[in-house]
Amino acid sequence: MSFFHPFRDNGILGMNRRNACYTLRYNPRKFYPLVDDKLQTKQLLEEHAIPTPILYFEIRYEFELKYLRQIKHLKKFAIKPARGAEGRGILVIADKDEQGWKTSGGERLTMEDIEYHVSNILAGLYSLSGVDDHAFIEYFVQSHPVFRPFTEKGVPDIRVILYRGVPVMSMLRLPTMESRGKANLHQGAVGAGVDMLSGITVGGVHKNMLIEKHPDTGQPIAGITLPHWNYILETAVKTYEIFKLGYFGIDFVIDRYLGPLILELNARPGLSIQLANRHGLLPRLSAVDRQTDIETLAPRDRLALSREIVTAV
Amino acid sequence: MNKKVYLLSAVLMITAGVLFYLRLSFGGQSIRPEFDQHLWRVEIGMTPHGSGSRASFRLTLPAETERQTIYNENFENSGLSFAIQESKLTKNRMGRWQTQILDGAKSVKYIFSAQLKSQTFDIPPDLRLDPAIKDHLAPEDQLWLKPSEFIQSDNKKIRHYLRKIIGREKHTGKVMHKLFDFVRGQVQYQSEKGSKDALETLKQLTADCGGQARAMVALSRAAGIPSRVVGGLVLEPGVKQITHAWVENYIGGQWIPFDTVNNHFASIPNHYLVLYKGDVVLLRHSGLAKIDYYFSVNFETMPPVDQPWSLYILPVHFHGVTKMLLLIPLGTLIVALTRIIIGIPTFGTFGPILLAIAFEEVLLVPGLLFVTLVLTINCLVRRLLDHLKILIIPKLAILVTMVVLILISVMMLSVHVGQLRMLYVSAFPIIIMTWMTERFSVLQIEDGTLAAIKSSLGTVIVSCLAYFVMDIPKLRSYFFAFPELLLVNIAILLLLGRYTGIRLTELWRFRDLHKLQEEKNRS
Repeated sequence: MSFFHPFRDNGILGMNRRNACYTLRYNPRKFYPLVDDKLQTKQLLEEHAIPTPILYFEIRYEFELKYLRQIKHLKKFAIKPARGAEGRGILVIADKDEQGWKTSGGERLTMEDIEYHVSNILAGLYSLSGVDDHAFIEYFVQSHPVFRPFTEKGVPDIRVILYRGVPVMSMLRLPTMESRGKANLHQGAVGAGVDMLSGITVGGVHKNMLIEKHPDTGQPIAGITLPHWNYILETAVKTYEIFKLGYFGIDFVIDRYLGPLILELNARPGLSIQLANRHGLLPRLSAVDRQTDIETLAPRDRLALSREIVTAV
Repeated sequence: MNKKVYLLSAVLMITAGVLFYLRLSFGGQSIRPEFDQHLWRVEIGMTPHGSGSRASFRLTLPAETERQTIYNENFENSGLSFAIQESKLTKNRMGRWQTQILDGAKSVKYIFSAQLKSQTFDIPPDLRLDPAIKDHLAPEDQLWLKPSEFIQSDNKKIRHYLRKIIGREKHTGKVMHKLFDFVRGQVQYQSEKGSKDALETLKQLTADCGGQARAMVALSRAAGIPSRVVGGLVLEPGVKQITHAWVENYIGGQWIPFDTVNNHFASIPNHYLVLYKGDVVLLRHSGLAKIDYYFSVNFETMPPVDQPWSLYILPVHFHGVTKMLLLIPLGTLIVALTRIIIGIPTFGTFGPILLAIAFEEVLLVPGLLFVTLVLTINCLVRRLLDHLKILIIPKLAILVTMVVLILISVMMLSVHVGQLRMLYVSAFPIIIMTWMTERFSVLQIEDGTLAAIKSSLGTVIVSCLAYFVMDIPKLRSYFFAFPELLLVNIAILLLLGRYTGIRLTELWRFRDLHKLQEEKNRS
């Protein structure tokens, strides 16, 4: 595939190869807005009856800020930028009393503070390329009890990487004190590899270091059984037909009442998932490419193929 | 996909190679070493010392001739008024500097490149002296037959010498041989403070090059051959103060050189640079206490170019900008290499190059100090603005204003401290610094201070690298002479664009996984 590889890759997918051989090749530019804009993603998912957190309302322009007062009726909600990258600009409100709101991190906020935050979102502070953005207010996801030992701050999520419609790798992302409740590995969250057949976690990664225990709580990371695992995989393979992207990541949260919900999609999923799983992506991706009739397979068959591949490599 | 890319980059490289070759062999463009031998870079430095009054001085400048190409001329006049004139009588090119009331010394430089050829002439054996030469000579050349102050060709003693030397010989070639052999054989060379005139030289039979040339010219003119002194430099790498003089005689319709001192009969080697014709002084001044001068000579590597597709035909004051422009793509190549092969994080693709150009203007160390100062103050101010809950766009605008404030204070400070180099900061580096500040702030908000510092360090490192590469003078001249090298740049970038190997920083990032895999492979 390439002319000059000075370093052995050991089956590990690097940034250059991800871009040149996978995202540039299989993700047509014109479909990017569907995943980069969370409002569009939400709309598409809802059209296809795939569960996602309920949208309360959106604020598109500065003059609509006055509608933000509606939140006074809400106790728990999340404010997000539509085009935010890597979990930036997300404000999760967990409680409300006479003085105002409380974030999931325990910080007190007044109406003024929230308005300032939404203003910044609209100005494009958190968007991918700094362009003007929209903000939306959605359902506050309450984490499934199985994650209770890890949920002092934030909500864990589950990322599934889908290559040409076949789930190839997955990880559970656990927020930490350092990541300030965000489930993003760049910001210091912990990633735990997931056995694709059983849905049980193996060891994890924290800031590119292999770890066995959660850095905040000291709880072992391996051995968590993810609830609704088969349902998550079934839902994941269905999204391939909707978004027409060949290589992307799907982020699920498991709500204690609503079950698995798709939070967002990512057309440039990170590479640390390989560290979390202690396994390179390349052998699995090549195994999918070896399947010549891949484009004709139904979602159910792709799931079967996925199980075959992860058993083999 | 890859095949197409390889093909395209191969085509680009071959195209560049072909263009390069064509220009080398047909375009007069050359980098071959044998050309170096007669490509010269000459610097004439003059230091006029004032005597408290108005002063002026003039230097004869080399002229374009068939064997002598002058190019890349550059004058550093240190504020003196300067003009190039043609002398009425001798048709020499003169540079003339004038000063206001001058106390103390000034430094004036004239720098140029010269491409020189050697020449050898044949004097037809049957050519005879022309008694009616005066009537055949153009009016402006008449003076080369007449006697002058130091060349007393009508003097009786000179005529006497002439008769003794040539007897009744009428063939021009033989006359020239006899005159040449006489002056070379009988007049002993001896360096002197001021050259003797022709008569004195023949009386004492010792002289330097100037005296020998005057004697030769006087004898030639007495014999009825138009003749003149020619002065200039014998070029060799190094610094010198000595000029040289020789003779040119008008024989058979052309001016033929003779140098009795270094024994060049009817020939001139390729390291003789002609600065003036006629018995004039190279450097003359009035109103000065004195004037010091030196000649600094070196080899030149880039030949002059007379083809319409060469960038050399651009006006000289655009050359600098064009050279810089041509190096920007090279900078992008360095950024691409460091990003794709090594994986150093930077502010955008062009950030490091822009910064490198800014460094080019303010020098590296002050530039680095600038960046550090600006970013530190920016951090502090941002903290304050965050506290006041200022909206993002006005906040960035305030930061940009702060940067400008800092920069002009630095400029004011540098005037008081006497560091005038800082004053050269033009609008361009300021814009780059402010832009960098904005990128830093945005990244700091998005990814935290640590990521912002990492990226700025990466940007600074890559821009230093780009600065050092773009600062190589050879590279500048080559890209300027052969802009088709940019095609090679594109070809390399195309290959880099399909490079799918693992980045160096990823080797580190995935080091634990690598170890695990190696173990697995072994077992």
